[in-house]
Amino acid sequence: MRFCRKKAMDKAQMAAMLRDMLRARAFEEAAAQGYAQGNIAGFLHLYPGEEAVAVGVLHAAEPGDYVVSTYREHVHALVRGIPARQIMAELYGKKTGVSGGMGGSMHLFDKDRRFLGGYAIVGETFPIALGAGYAVAYRKLPEAVLCFFGDGAVNQGTFHESLNMAALWKLPIFFVCENNHYQIGTEIHRHSAVTEVYKRACGYGIPAEKVDGMDVVAVHKAAKRALDRVRAGDGPQFLELETYRYRGHSMADPGSYRPAAELNAYQANDPIAAAVHVAEHPYPSADAIALAGADCVTRFTDHCCEGGHLDDAAVERMRREIQEEVADAVAFAEQSDAPNMDDAWKAFHRNRRFETLMETAQ
Amino acid sequence: MSEMLYWQALNRAMDAEMAADETVLTLGEDVGLYGGTYRVTEGLMAKYGEWRVRDTPISENSFTGLGVGAAMLGLRPVVEIMTINFALFAMDAIVNMAAKIPFMSGGQFPMPLTIRMPGGVAKQLGAQHSQRLEHMLMNVPGLRIVVPATPQDAYWQLRQAIRSDDPILVLEHELLYFSKGDVDEATLAPPIHQAVARRRGRDITCIAYSRMLPLALQAAETLAAEGIELTVIDPRSLSPIDWDTCVRAVEQTHRCLIVEEDCRFAGAGAEFAATLQERCFYLLDAPIQRVAGMDIPTPFNGTLEAASIPRGEHIVQAARQMMAQQ
Amino acid sequence: MKAEITMPVLSDTMQTGRLTRWNKAVGEVIKKGEAVAEVETDKAILDVEAFADGFLAGPLAAVDTDIPVRQVIGYIADTPEATKTDSGGAARVAATTAPPAPPSAAPGAVPEKKTAPPDTLQPTAPAAAATPPDTAPSEKPASPLPPHTPTAAAAALQPPHAGGLQASPYARALARDLELDLSQVKPGPDGIIHAAQVLASALAPEDADLRRGPPYTIERPSMLRAAVARNMSATLDTPTFLISSRFATAPLHAAAKQAGLSLTLALTRACALTVAEDPWFNQVWTRQGLAKRSRVDVGIAVDTGDGLITPVLRDAASRPLKELVEDWRILLGKVKKGRIYPEDYQGASFYLSNLGVFPEVERFNAIVPVGASAILAVAAVGSDGRADFTLSCDHRVIFGADAARFLQRLGKRLEDLSWLATGEGGL
Repeated sequence: MRFCRKKAMDKAQMAAMLRDMLRARAFEEAAAQGYAQGNIAGFLHLYPGEEAVAVGVLHAAEPGDYVVSTYREHVHALVRGIPARQIMAELYGKKTGVSGGMGGSMHLFDKDRRFLGGYAIVGETFPIALGAGYAVAYRKLPEAVLCFFGDGAVNQGTFHESLNMAALWKLPIFFVCENNHYQIGTEIHRHSAVTEVYKRACGYGIPAEKVDGMDVVAVHKAAKRALDRVRAGDGPQFLELETYRYRGHSMADPGSYRPAAELNAYQANDPIAAAVHVAEHPYPSADAIALAGADCVTRFTDHCCEGGHLDDAAVERMRREIQEEVADAVAFAEQSDAPNMDDAWKAFHRNRRFETLMETAQ
Repeated sequence: MSEMLYWQALNRAMDAEMAADETVLTLGEDVGLYGGTYRVTEGLMAKYGEWRVRDTPISENSFTGLGVGAAMLGLRPVVEIMTINFALFAMDAIVNMAAKIPFMSGGQFPMPLTIRMPGGVAKQLGAQHSQRLEHMLMNVPGLRIVVPATPQDAYWQLRQAIRSDDPILVLEHELLYFSKGDVDEATLAPPIHQAVARRRGRDITCIAYSRMLPLALQAAETLAAEGIELTVIDPRSLSPIDWDTCVRAVEQTHRCLIVEEDCRFAGAGAEFAATLQERCFYLLDAPIQRVAGMDIPTPFNGTLEAASIPRGEHIVQAARQMMAQQ
Repeated sequence: MKAEITMPVLSDTMQTGRLTRWNKAVGEVIKKGEAVAEVETDKAILDVEAFADGFLAGPLAAVDTDIPVRQVIGYIADTPEATKTDSGGAARVAATTAPPAPPSAAPGAVPEKKTAPPDTLQPTAPAAAATPPDTAPSEKPASPLPPHTPTAAAAALQPPHAGGLQASPYARALARDLELDLSQVKPGPDGIIHAAQVLASALAPEDADLRRGPPYTIERPSMLRAAVARNMSATLDTPTFLISSRFATAPLHAAAKQAGLSLTLALTRACALTVAEDPWFNQVWTRQGLAKRSRVDVGIAVDTGDGLITPVLRDAASRPLKELVEDWRILLGKVKKGRIYPEDYQGASFYLSNLGVFPEVERFNAIVPVGASAILAVAAVGSDGRADFTLSCDHRVIFGADAARFLQRLGKRLEDLSWLATGEGGL
């Protein structure tokens, strides 16, 4: 009985993660389209290829945890539970956006969902997470702070400063490195003397692990383990997730510095395809095993044991629902009002509502 | 009401706020066991423990950023940066984070962060330890900057800064820490950014802040003996600036002299001069003048160091010259 | 080493002086105490005294210009070589600009380059050679205070734009409100019109419009004439009344002659004694209150041929007449030579104007100068042997009955002349 319930929960978990991965892909494709049509301006950094990281990690987090993210954070926000409408509206710079149109694509904030923002200066997520972790530790609450960053951020001074302080004071921070191998166009072996990022956490005595970031289940499991240790009071944990972005750094970047073969190889190992594959087929066919290769079989078998029974029709239904959700988000963003300068001043002065700054008359 | 030193007033303010509100905490290099390099946090670690008085490693950017993150979660951190010169390492935390997050989040996140920094030219500390830098910070929307010149203002303005939900920089002056003054801990403080007239006179409005205030007041005494009467305005705050008080004073004297220790080029005085001429142009009877530090890194040699920043006699001469024109 | 020669301050009211001549040429020897130049002030031509031994050095201020007090007008060098400045003394200190800024003063709008003597200026060529080419030439590395920013310096040095006047914004606004033509306002000592000049102009009576009359030229009045005009205009706010009487002057004339006095001096003594009897006549109205004088100083109008001056006999009621006679002789000598100083002609508490030498003048009245409460005008003796005495009084201090009693007592004093021979203040 107990075994069955566990299986049922896992199935729901699998379905939820698959749904979020499909949502993430569809959302980003709609964003790319909106950008191409001129409806979204500025910088736009898209996530396709890296979905397993956000989905796997955030599905391991609790609602009481805090999330600090980078400028490539639409999917983190989406998986964290911020409605697609509000994210898309923020990308469109509309008043109904999650940051009221004041932040934009790189600065999604949601206080209620403890989403502490997207930061557009590489290396800023460390001190923010450090401060949040300090506050949690000071209050002695069983909460964790999830800190996302890319492989390019680990050469910034704040990485070392913050890891040092986090370890020194045993702060409840989970450092998650999305290693997509490129800081814009510079590949990791050209920007880091030590290319295995997780090893760099050892300098601060922080337990670190490297996991395949293309395998959502593995990511989820590793994240769960790390967060358990954080909540147990073991101090900060570090997880390096090797992944890959299919697009360029941003919409302005064709990504032409990468060999086509490399891209194709990662696309062949598409985490969504893999997840769908896992979800749809409780038992692998011989063909499937041959196609996926040895590594996938291992993963695949693991999941099959724990179960998800999802058929083609269910996945199709899921895809349709997601298309509707994303189309609705785009329509909402398009129809929303733009903020005016009054809204900007209101946002700016909102926190001095109860203060007298100076006398206005003698 | 009791007489105390500037640093003691700051210490009393810290103690009062920490006692009143347990979300208030302080961090920085040597603020704990050591008691602060200017003694401002003396005795606080013993009283409030290490989680509320935290000695940090030398990592200005990250421990200032820590203050930002903690403030986002509702704490009221007071970050001490040992001198403003080191704040250049923390500029990202101050400018890109503290000043931007409340706005970029559409007003969702308050930023009850206070950053205390001593600065200014002290006694032969060399070019890297003699900077003012207020002009750099003034140019950042979202930051509020107070410049207490007296122990009383240090006490009031630090307490008000801690209670504010906006990021506020308290710029202290290294040569003011051991200046003495009466501090009334019971009286209600005036609004934190309100300017005050420290002296009234008919001829020239002299605007002077931080350590320039005592110089201006001394110069005003000298000038009064010659029949030149100065109104001396202590703006107390550089962002926002209490323009109404400044404008009213200039409208009465028709002449304005601005004194700043910081470099003249693109300094705080430039902002005062530009805005006051916009608002008082038709009531000005002479061009607005500035007495300011030289546009040169502060020399180590004591004589040259003293020559590179305003002294009382410069204020006296500038005022005389303004009056002699007419 | 060069010592400065500055425009001397010769009275508390003196703001500018007109340099009328240099007594020495550049390079000539100068002894301490010697008069190196002449300056025309309110009422007199005065010497500019040398305060050091040496040699006159340029640049010298131009002759016939109005120069603010304390401004440098020339230099005394300690060696003849040092007098040879750049352009051989051809450079002139501009007359209408403010004193040079001390090197440590805040750089201001004062056009420093125009006013500073050449040896404190940065010579253009060496400065350009000593600083990198991209450094603004106005930067002075040796200056103890920050130099002009290049733009500020450029603005400060700009001449007033063609056909334009330089006036402060406040002065312009005031002129607009007061409907005053700025071109009619005389600029301040720095060549710029400030509020003070606009207000003075607004309070000054309007000039007559001469354009419809005969052709004319404008000539600058002498300093003396200008000062009289200013002082007389200043009396406009004094509420004045006149009171007259006629007295025989023959007995006084005879007694004075016998005592070896001029009639004017005898009249002065008579007035001083009468004033001393009634302290109201020795008081003056001020904004702070009534100023009560403890001594009677009588100012006596004297015609210089180019206007009016009023040498003052101090303590004219109680000092021996002999002293007054001597004082008066000296004063008249100074007037004649044009070497009269402010302390000689300022500060009387009562005035006397005697036009008795003009037999045609039957009667006249005088204007009460600021600083006194009354002036007595004495006309020529008529066919009845009497002369008209008209007293002009400041009604804020003196009332009609006081004035009547004054004339009464003066009349008695002109009949009973015992005071002149013996007793009170006799010779």
